[in-house]
Amino acid sequence: MEVLSFLLAYFVFPGLLFASVFGLLFMGIDRKVTAHMQHRIGPPVWQEFIDFGKLLGKEDITPAAAQGVVFTLAPLIAMGAAITVMLLLPINSAQPALTSAADLIVIIYLLNIPAICVMLGGYSSASPFGAVGASRYVVQLFSYELIFIVTVLTAAVKVGSLSIGDIITYQAHNGWLAFKLPLATAAIVVAAQAKLLRVPFDIPEAESEIVHGPFTEYSGPKLGLMRLAYAIELFAVAGLITALFFGGPVAHTIAGVQIPGVVSFLIKTFAIVLFTTNIRNIAARLRIDQAMKFFWTIIALIAIVNLIIVVL
Amino acid sequence: MSFVVPIGPQHPALEEPEHFRIEVKGEEIVDVDIRLGYVHRGIEEALSKRTYMHGLFLAQRVCGICPVSHSLTFLRAVEEVAGIECPDRARYIRTIGAELERIHSHLLFAGIAAHEIGFTTLFMLFWRDRELVLDLREMLWGNRIHSSETTIGGVRWDIKPNQVPKVLRNLAALEKEVKHYIDVVGSDRTILARCANIGVLTKQMARELCAVGPTARASGVNWDIRRDDPYAAYDEVPFKVITERDGDVLAKILVRLREVLESIRIIRHALDAMPGGPLRTEFKGRVQEGEATGRVEANRGELLYYIFSKGGEKPERVRIRTPTYANIPTVKPMLVGGTIAEVPIVLASIDPCFACTDRVTVVDRNTGKSKVVTKAELRRLNK
Repeated sequence: MEVLSFLLAYFVFPGLLFASVFGLLFMGIDRKVTAHMQHRIGPPVWQEFIDFGKLLGKEDITPAAAQGVVFTLAPLIAMGAAITVMLLLPINSAQPALTSAADLIVIIYLLNIPAICVMLGGYSSASPFGAVGASRYVVQLFSYELIFIVTVLTAAVKVGSLSIGDIITYQAHNGWLAFKLPLATAAIVVAAQAKLLRVPFDIPEAESEIVHGPFTEYSGPKLGLMRLAYAIELFAVAGLITALFFGGPVAHTIAGVQIPGVVSFLIKTFAIVLFTTNIRNIAARLRIDQAMKFFWTIIALIAIVNLIIVVL
Repeated sequence: MSFVVPIGPQHPALEEPEHFRIEVKGEEIVDVDIRLGYVHRGIEEALSKRTYMHGLFLAQRVCGICPVSHSLTFLRAVEEVAGIECPDRARYIRTIGAELERIHSHLLFAGIAAHEIGFTTLFMLFWRDRELVLDLREMLWGNRIHSSETTIGGVRWDIKPNQVPKVLRNLAALEKEVKHYIDVVGSDRTILARCANIGVLTKQMARELCAVGPTARASGVNWDIRRDDPYAAYDEVPFKVITERDGDVLAKILVRLREVLESIRIIRHALDAMPGGPLRTEFKGRVQEGEATGRVEANRGELLYYIFSKGGEKPERVRIRTPTYANIPTVKPMLVGGTIAEVPIVLASIDPCFACTDRVTVVDRNTGKSKVVTKAELRRLNK
């Protein structure tokens, strides 16, 4: 029974099926909104599903010069890690599908695995663009990750627990942490923009500079899995911000009808995704040194000041 | 340790195939090697095998963006050899055609520049407003870009009075938008971070490397064929030559956007001051012996045609020097010392048009391989 419920959680809800459907849907909406901001019609919102299906049906190519094993495993591990994050997030109620003593630390680790897989994939692809993209990604990781950890820590210190369930419960009684920690919230949203490789921080995959960075040599099913992993990561990062700062899933009763917590969770994550979409359409791409300077001066200052305020 | 990053012949930052070997240490560029010749089309040879009338249409197809400039340069040379005078009204219509083309070319450039720095929204908006001008060209001459409104000795179509209001309306809408874009480009933090003080070409360098057009004017070189060697009706239309001082990518974008405003003023004045009269002088098809050089200020800079005639219906030799060819050497000083991330926007900042540029490629007939000719070899061949 235990095994069955775990498998169900991993593959159906809130794991693979749920996360990929909503991740791909969010990306589709992101493309549609982008198109309208740019006075285009844009693809239909289900375009990402079509693309994914098409990529799965293509020939599976590994470049002759590439390190085949790493190159193939990278997208699989990236996707596995992203799905595992979904299990640790409180999607429907304060209780996640999987719990551990300090799930915030596990989540931070797991959220880094897709980034590391992309880097490994880039380095192992034996393409100069992949190598340059991966080296940029390393620099970018060191730029945003500190901010990400500091802000998550700020929330944990405020609540006094490393368990994400406790943070949700705290917010249910005391209101959203976003109002109590505005600086940390702003910082984590900017860091998420970099974590999700969105303009102005799409530096590792800058398409007009280094083709597609680490993804350059990926094609067919592997590219499909990479995109799916990215879609789930998008959902997971937005979900983490929702859980930490925006109260997570809250069940409502409107006019006698029970609305499960997952609805409010989806609405909040969607709002965060839309916000990042907005930023990515009103800015130009920064250079990697400019991005690093930006994070280590302004954003790090904001995040650390808020942490100090909370600790004091 | 330095290694070579190839930009091209196939690269998303380049619209056309050309090869730049960028030698980098980490992200810093230490050397640049430029290899041309991937899109050699043999147009000069083809021009000498066609009559002048057919040649005009071929000359327009040297470039996909500036057919009017190419036709005007070809016409300037041919009309000088043939001794034909263009009627006044036709000269004004040619001016309007050239300026409409300059506007859409500069907006195309601005869009590409925005794309190169990852600002896709601005890219789309520039190209949306470019449609205003393309619609006008379609209304006036039937085609959006390859309008072929010029002919030897004049123009083929008149601008009718009932078309003028729409022209003025679209230009007014465009003027408002372009003023807004100049504001945006000059103030947006991310654009400034990517464009200000990047790819600087000093005034001295611009002069030494013989840069032309907006590339030179962005470095403060006050030189414009429209004013300094006027053709069409430019000697009768008042306009300012736009220059910027900084020579960086931002200056190159701003120069072009401000030139769009100036072009709008030129068109308004030309529509207002256009005299009546015939549209073309008859051209008999045969040209006497002689040679002539025609040059105009094309969208990207000075465009030059040399025509040598031994008499008859066909030219003996036609030589084309496109503005990109003159601007290519400036790429190296702009790139060296910068980073890989700057390559696309710096390359784009000269508004390159490689297909127009390629004139020669050396191919070994036995092996089928192309090769690079050194300066010494070239000297020897020329003797």
